[in-house]
Amino acid sequence: MPENPSRDEIVKARKEVYLGSVVAPRVESRKLFLFSLLCALALFPLLQVASGRFNYWLHMLLFTFLNVTMAASWNIIGGYAGYISLGHNVFSGIGGYVAGALLIFYGLSPFLTAPLAGVVACLFGLLFGLITLRTRGSAFIIATIALVLLTKLGLDNWELLGGTNGVSLPLLPLPARFVKLPFYYGMLLTAVGAVYLSYRIRHSKFGLGLRAIAQDETKAEVAGIPTSLYKILAFAISGFFPGMAGALWAYYLTYLRPTIYFAILGAAEIVLMVLLGGRGTVAGPVLGAVLLVAMNEFFVARFGSTELNIAGTGLLMLIILIFFPEGIVGTLRDRKKLPRLLDWG
Amino acid sequence: MLLEVENVTAGYGAGPNILDGVSLRIEQGKSYCIIGPNGAGKSTLLRTICGLLRPRSGRIIFKGEVLNNLRPDQILRKGICFVPQDRSLFPEMSVKENLLMAGYTLTNKQDLEQRIQTVFEIFPVLKERQSQLAQTLSGGEQQMLAMARALILKPDVIMLDEPSLGLAPLVAIQVFESIKKLKELGMTILLVEQNARKGLECADWGYVLDLGKNRFEGPAHSLLHDPQIEELYLGKRRGTRPQGKTRTLEQGVDGS
Amino acid sequence: MIQLVQVFLLGLTLGGVYALMASGLTLIFGVMRIVNIAHGAFILFAAYLAYWGFKLYQIDPMFSLLFTMPVMFLLGMGIYRLLFPRIAGSRRFTSMTVLLTFSLALIMEGVMGFLYSGIYRSANPPYTTRALLFGPFYLPLAQLYATLLSLVLLGLLFLFLRFTRTGRAIRATMQNRTAAQIVGVNVEQISTLAFGIGTALAGASGSMVSFLFTFFPAKHWQWIGTLLALIVLGGMGSLPGSVVGSFLLAVIAAYLGYFYGPTWSPITFYLALFLILLIRPEGLLGKKLEA
Repeated sequence: MPENPSRDEIVKARKEVYLGSVVAPRVESRKLFLFSLLCALALFPLLQVASGRFNYWLHMLLFTFLNVTMAASWNIIGGYAGYISLGHNVFSGIGGYVAGALLIFYGLSPFLTAPLAGVVACLFGLLFGLITLRTRGSAFIIATIALVLLTKLGLDNWELLGGTNGVSLPLLPLPARFVKLPFYYGMLLTAVGAVYLSYRIRHSKFGLGLRAIAQDETKAEVAGIPTSLYKILAFAISGFFPGMAGALWAYYLTYLRPTIYFAILGAAEIVLMVLLGGRGTVAGPVLGAVLLVAMNEFFVARFGSTELNIAGTGLLMLIILIFFPEGIVGTLRDRKKLPRLLDWG
Repeated sequence: MLLEVENVTAGYGAGPNILDGVSLRIEQGKSYCIIGPNGAGKSTLLRTICGLLRPRSGRIIFKGEVLNNLRPDQILRKGICFVPQDRSLFPEMSVKENLLMAGYTLTNKQDLEQRIQTVFEIFPVLKERQSQLAQTLSGGEQQMLAMARALILKPDVIMLDEPSLGLAPLVAIQVFESIKKLKELGMTILLVEQNARKGLECADWGYVLDLGKNRFEGPAHSLLHDPQIEELYLGKRRGTRPQGKTRTLEQGVDGS
Repeated sequence: MIQLVQVFLLGLTLGGVYALMASGLTLIFGVMRIVNIAHGAFILFAAYLAYWGFKLYQIDPMFSLLFTMPVMFLLGMGIYRLLFPRIAGSRRFTSMTVLLTFSLALIMEGVMGFLYSGIYRSANPPYTTRALLFGPFYLPLAQLYATLLSLVLLGLLFLFLRFTRTGRAIRATMQNRTAAQIVGVNVEQISTLAFGIGTALAGASGSMVSFLFTFFPAKHWQWIGTLLALIVLGGMGSLPGSVVGSFLLAVIAAYLGYFYGPTWSPITFYLALFLILLIRPEGLLGKKLEA
């Protein structure tokens, strides 16, 4: 009688077949890289404390963290589940307005209420998802565009919160040298949280379900995945960190105004970051956000024109869609040239 | 030789080969039936011949001309008509409009009108229903409309993909009757059929496809009576089954 | 009571223009499953063409469709050939088209903003300040002309689709792409043509819009929001549905504007969109949304 292979052997053989040529990444060096990156970012403000001449860099990093948060969160619904949201900045808008209103009317600091703002954004996502994600396909995308326009219209006309002109928020009572620091750390924490969440989801059963939906929704449903529930949950979850980031951002800017949050261009840039970096990957949105912020800064400094900036955003998006639909990380991975440091699973 | 398929491979998107080296030889005026289990690649073969799918390798030769890189509309103009499994009608058009669409490649209006009248003679029920929307027809009528649509062009070859699928047995018999009628009219027919026995009964020559490869071929009536084919692909015929076969052999067998 | 009828009439006379704006979008979605987010930008571009035609050469914007339509027809076909065959085989084709046309809209908005700046513009031929009076009611001539002209164009579109060979091929492709291929329609050619016709209709809409509304480069987002609501309401890809939807929403928007002030009237379209998705995702006269 032939000896049957043990279960572990079978599992190992299957993994070899299904995972193919994926070489086990050297976890150690990658962990070290990420850890030192975080340490560097955490220690960077010391330069400001010491010299006071790094406010511009603090601002740029903070802005990058905001975008990393947005992109990594968008990726949960747009990348994993394949349902493109063209209105994700609405979440940060809701967060911003919730925390802003609590500050104005009750004097509660957005640093305390940011998680609450995140939860409210989540609930809002749940509601919106319940309406739009029961159907499949393009209706959702259309609805997200309408969502941006609708919320902007609503807030433009809501005089209590300043309408179109917005309302200013009190300053954080700190000297100019230190005033950016709490925002810096708050936003860094949000960004790390968002990336970690997207990593955990990617490696969960839930994430597997979402990716199955992106591949073939009918088959996913036949395979027993509650597709509607998963999509709605994914959309709601993807609203949490943007809601938090929005709360901090409003306080940081010291005013609330519909145009900060509810601009189509803002929504487009979130999508562009993820497309640029690589949809459905963990590192892609981070990379895309960093690159796009750098590029925007360069072009605005160079040409100064916002009109051309809009056209440039569109053109870049078009080129990526046609020639590199998988984005940087995805394309490199397909060619098996992805550096280990960017292979975050 | 009217139509020749030489060692063709084909598949969808980046997926595996569904056809893995299939060959056919179709002669003028004869009818052929391709049988085989689910997933054998029968429908894929027809889709490849009519150009909805490009072959990855091999050649498809029609009247001495290679069809490999032509679009479906170009292949149609050469004289190959296809009636797909789902009938592919235009649901929100009337029967008449569906037939007008069938003559899309024809430019002479009077000629087209005449052809439609000829087709109405073969399928009188369609004449009665000509102003009805195609989506309101019964399954059998839809199949007839699909066949009628192919006949409008007086094609050299008509390919039918599972014409009896989803039809009630009595309606299916009607459909097979009309196929026989087409055969009597001298049409060259290439038929794919799950109902293998019925399909072979309509045909002169049979091909058996399995896992994307040719397995057997031969005159239809001899395939019908070949014990091996019968066992593997035809299933049990009531009362005539040879003694001594085990039931397990029936597993995975298609047919009536 | 008279006021209410008056509002109804005003809504109705805008409905035709909305229907014309939505028809091109519907045609493009119906034939190719492309959600053309750039449709508003196309309309806007044509509106600028009509506006400059009026300012520089005193061409009546109503007749400007004689050049906006051909220009947009060619532009549309060119854009289609340039962009869409490249993504033809991609998974989730419709989502892909949304992103692609979305970026196209951004490009067009940016270029128009660069060329024409953000100034609010509107062509003002003499009839924009006149109105037709009958009994206690009035109808602004501009709206009346625009809607009548739109209805004429929609009628021509209907006749073309219904009774010509090419029109029938377009409808066939809308109903069943594979079947159209089987009966010998060169669907790529038909798609290019349909895209061109869709953008030509955007061109005609632009001509109307140039003297009906004030516009600026970012205005197209508001239009596309409205139009998307209209085609979802009509049931994606159903032309009669989008026409009915246009008149319906135009009237409701007019009432909303009358009761709550004009800034609220666009909200009709967005709310209608969500309402439809909630109760009847297949639209008023449409089929299921799949893509």
